[in-house]
Amino acid sequence: MARRKFATLKSFLDYIGIEGDRTIFTWVSASEGERFANVIKGVTAKVQALGPATKLVKEL
Amino acid sequence: MENIEKKLREEAKRLLEEKRVDALVGFEAGTLPLTATPCFITSPEEADRLVWNAFCSQNLAKYVHDLISQHHNSQKRVKPEDRKKKVVGVVARGCTTRSIVLHLQERQYGRDEVTIIGVPCEGYVDRKALTAALDGADIREGSLTGDRLDILTAEGKKEIPLQDVLADNCRTCRFNNPIIHDVMIGEPAPAMPGAVQEYAEVEEFEKLSTEERWRYFTKEMSKCIRCYACRQACPSCYCPTCFVEQTQPQWVGLGEDATDTQVFQLMRLFHMVGRCVDCGSCVSVCPMGVDLRKFLKKLDKDVFDFFGNRAGVSLDDPPPLSTFKEDDKEDFIYNP
Repeated sequence: MARRKFATLKSFLDYIGIEGDRTIFTWVSASEGERFANVIKGVTAKVQALGPATKLVKEL
Repeated sequence: MENIEKKLREEAKRLLEEKRVDALVGFEAGTLPLTATPCFITSPEEADRLVWNAFCSQNLAKYVHDLISQHHNSQKRVKPEDRKKKVVGVVARGCTTRSIVLHLQERQYGRDEVTIIGVPCEGYVDRKALTAALDGADIREGSLTGDRLDILTAEGKKEIPLQDVLADNCRTCRFNNPIIHDVMIGEPAPAMPGAVQEYAEVEEFEKLSTEERWRYFTKEMSKCIRCYACRQACPSCYCPTCFVEQTQPQWVGLGEDATDTQVFQLMRLFHMVGRCVDCGSCVSVCPMGVDLRKFLKKLDKDVFDFFGNRAGVSLDDPPPLSTFKEDDKEDFIYNP
């Protein structure tokens, strides 16, 4: 069910113009330390490539 | 159409006389020419108020849900043995029955609490398109003969083909006949010719670049004045407390910040995954003409593409987001 929600959420955010690389979903178990590190490295690299988020950000 | 109206009144009268329904939700003639407005009927004599024509735009399932949940609430403090059952009757076209199926799937009320008078539907008139076709002139008098609207405005007489002012969701409607019904009035209507291209608009929009799509989204959402008419009219929006009115936590800020409006619309739209029946009520009540359908149709398309499910078309299907299959789409999952 979570998989279904994320499949539609990612597709919908992309549709309204939020870059697909900003919505990232994956499974990590508590015992997969190395995989977790790799996921975070990958995500930060993707986000750094995109630069700061400006969409749906509220200026206070 | 007159024939359907006559049969509808007879049927409504019979149901009320036999006490098979306690209240009936239908349409009556509106106060302005070429309009219809929802009405609630509780006695057989009032059945002659009912009308059924191409100006009946709202999805009446909203009122069915309202009436039944109000009744449920009123029975909460009554001893179980003294509780009364109430049956709500409704005049329903394809999309209205789809919403009722959705309510039943989501266990909002029992099938025995609603009596559905099914009517065929060949689409309703989009009021905004009609106003545009008349260049904004006020309608003094009007009548519908076959497929032609004869309208008298301050600037004179005008003839408009019904096809030109049908709502977008009706042109591409796939389910214009009731999915479920207790009584069916008239013969089933022919299928709408545009149904095969129902996702054409979405596919066109998908081809645009990310920035173009974002510009369109922000442009449309900047029209929104947060009147929440879309939410009030939507039969799938029935939460007792809507997230916009919650204060602990406050999910979305009040006021006129553009981002708050975008987030409100985004969240409301996303609550419609696999639940939007494309009845067009939100679009028809929107005073600002926000193009909500462009986004709702995408959700509909995704749910059909990914899970092969269409909202409210079968009582046996579970809601798509409360079930899963082992081979569901998972190519979006990130694997470093």
